[in-house]
Amino acid sequence: MAAPVTPELEAAAERAQARRGLLVSLPAYAYLVVFFAIPLVIVFVVSVFGRRNPRGATVYGPPTLDAYRKIFEPGPDGSYLVLEIVWRSLWLSVVTTIVCLLLAYPLAYYIATRTPRVRNALLVLVMIPFWSNFLVRTYAWRVLLGRSGPVTAVTSALGLTDTPMIFTVNAVLIGLVYGFLPFMVLPLYAAIERMDWSLVEAARDLYASGWQAFRKITWPLSRPGVIAGSILVFIPAFGAYVTPEILGGSKTTLLGSYIVRQFLQARDAPFGSALSFVLMSVMLGATIVYFRTGARNL
Amino acid sequence: MVLSGVTKRFGDVTAVDGMNLEIRDGEFFSLLGPSGCGKTTTLRMIAGFEYPTEGSVRIQGREMGLEPPNRRPVNTVFQSYALFPHMTVAENVGFGLKMRGVGRSEIAERVARALDQVQLAHRSDARPSQLSGGQQQRVALARALVNEPAVLLLDEPLGALDLKLRQAMQVELKELQERVGITFVYVTHDQEEALTMSDRIGVMNEGRLLQVGEPEAIYERPTSRFVADFIGHINLVTAECAGSGMVRIGDGAEVAVPGVQGAGGKVTIALRPERLHLTAPDADIPAGANRLRGVVRRRVYHGDGFTYEVAVAGTVLEVRTENTPGLVRYEAGSDICVYWDPSAANLVED
Ligand SMILES: Nc1ncnc2c1ncn2[C@@H]1O[C@H](COP(=O)(O)OP(=O)(O)OP(=O)(O)O)[C@@H](O)[C@H]1O
Ligand SMILES: [Mg+2]
Repeated sequence: MAAPVTPELEAAAERAQARRGLLVSLPAYAYLVVFFAIPLVIVFVVSVFGRRNPRGATVYGPPTLDAYRKIFEPGPDGSYLVLEIVWRSLWLSVVTTIVCLLLAYPLAYYIATRTPRVRNALLVLVMIPFWSNFLVRTYAWRVLLGRSGPVTAVTSALGLTDTPMIFTVNAVLIGLVYGFLPFMVLPLYAAIERMDWSLVEAARDLYASGWQAFRKITWPLSRPGVIAGSILVFIPAFGAYVTPEILGGSKTTLLGSYIVRQFLQARDAPFGSALSFVLMSVMLGATIVYFRTGARNL
Repeated sequence: MVLSGVTKRFGDVTAVDGMNLEIRDGEFFSLLGPSGCGKTTTLRMIAGFEYPTEGSVRIQGREMGLEPPNRRPVNTVFQSYALFPHMTVAENVGFGLKMRGVGRSEIAERVARALDQVQLAHRSDARPSQLSGGQQQRVALARALVNEPAVLLLDEPLGALDLKLRQAMQVELKELQERVGITFVYVTHDQEEALTMSDRIGVMNEGRLLQVGEPEAIYERPTSRFVADFIGHINLVTAECAGSGMVRIGDGAEVAVPGVQGAGGKVTIALRPERLHLTAPDADIPAGANRLRGVVRRRVYHGDGFTYEVAVAGTVLEVRTENTPGLVRYEAGSDICVYWDPSAANLVED
């Protein structure tokens, strides 16, 4: 038989509830710890305590910031190669994000304002590329942008250039935009779709033109989608590896490829770890700044 | 404002069907009707959110045609208020003025005055989400009124408020309307609200405007079965004309109904429960009154009165009595007499 409730009993019930919640989320926590937190600690330890010995093995000693210092030092040829690569990665991912936003916003707006049936069909179309492997699709661009590809055929027919676009920064940009566009479209779509359209009507009723209503109402209210989409594009673009490896050339090395090279070719794990750590810090910083500004304007 | 022959079709659905309506300057006009009868659609066509399939909307003598909402001299108070969540109360209210290019200092001045009018001057820096429902409602009102439109459209503006607040806002709205002298077109499905606030009411059903008139005319002299039935409680009795102003009801009892002509035809007469009176079966009644003998079937207590269901002449009539001191109560099963003045009866079309 149940007893009448006392404050102690109520508190006990709440504790039991909290324990059950923890139990349910345990797999997610375990996943994050094993595959994210522990590797992060390892990377940090290697970057601070590790040194590369002449044979390319990593040995450990007292803590040092040598690996981090190396990022800001000129290479043997006097050029600031690492900073150049970081800078190139940064602006390329910023441009990718902006281009994705410009392409995705009208598309997401169009989809969100269709009838539910058309809307679902269009969303499936947006997601169709995910049905085939990313690597395969990126290789397809290699053909499209290559010497005998259709893009080169068009540019040379127009008398613009005979040089194929493949292995240039532009090719990498096209590949990145192509690969990450759906990640921009979907959150934008979600934000626009759940917007209260009577707000736009209210603005039109209060003498706003269509464009003014967009600027003053639709755009600010879809900002959560803009923020989410930008983060989802910027972060993987900044650390991109596959796309620049396949579509880029030796002059367009990005941070992702450079880090891989430290581990696999230069055999400098401490330096690679330091670069990884910087990369993640920049991403974290960018995310925080973006969320803060976004939240304030909302 | 004049609507002529306004029809709106959504595919197979005819939401508004050949509406002709003239609304006078400065009047409080209510559109009343059941859910789905086309009230909102009518309002949206006046505001310009929806264009008629055919017909003409003229405001201040100007044909509206396909003018977009921002080029019409009307403003709307939305049912859900539609306040901009990312702007303060003052920014919300000043939005229309800003869009029309009014100067900064004039905006500030007029916004302050409008907020004063709705007693919200102290909340001008709050966000809409920080306000109560009634306060949001008043912001929506101020946001529309600050533009001094020729016509203010209100779509069930009090629908989301609880009863007490709704009644207080009804009074406030009516006073405000009289003060500013702007034409109000007020959509509601609450007949009491329409009766108490309006100068005139238009009753709609299934996209059609059935009757337009002052509240009293609508209540006392409904012309159709629908209007009679929709507004308040009413007894609708089918009767057969018996010649010389008499009709035969149910089991053959004859009663006088003014305006009945000929014999043999079927008519529907409408009788308001509060216009019927009860008395003992053999008591005296005023001269010329109709009387029917019957039996009380049920008595319902309302606080301010009683409703009796009385079986008479093969039909059942609802009779309403006020709860006055010294009132005689009749128990279920008691014999009784129902009487009424013939002028209380109304002929309605089916
Ligand atoms: N955009 C639309 N598309 C299709 N049908 C519509 C549309 N808007 C309204 N209707 C239909 O038109 C009819 C009238 O709708 P309306 O919203 O004008 O009714 P209402 O009188 O305002 O009802 P309520 O009291 O429920 O708000 C309804 O049958 C509705 O389903
Ligand atoms: Mg409606």
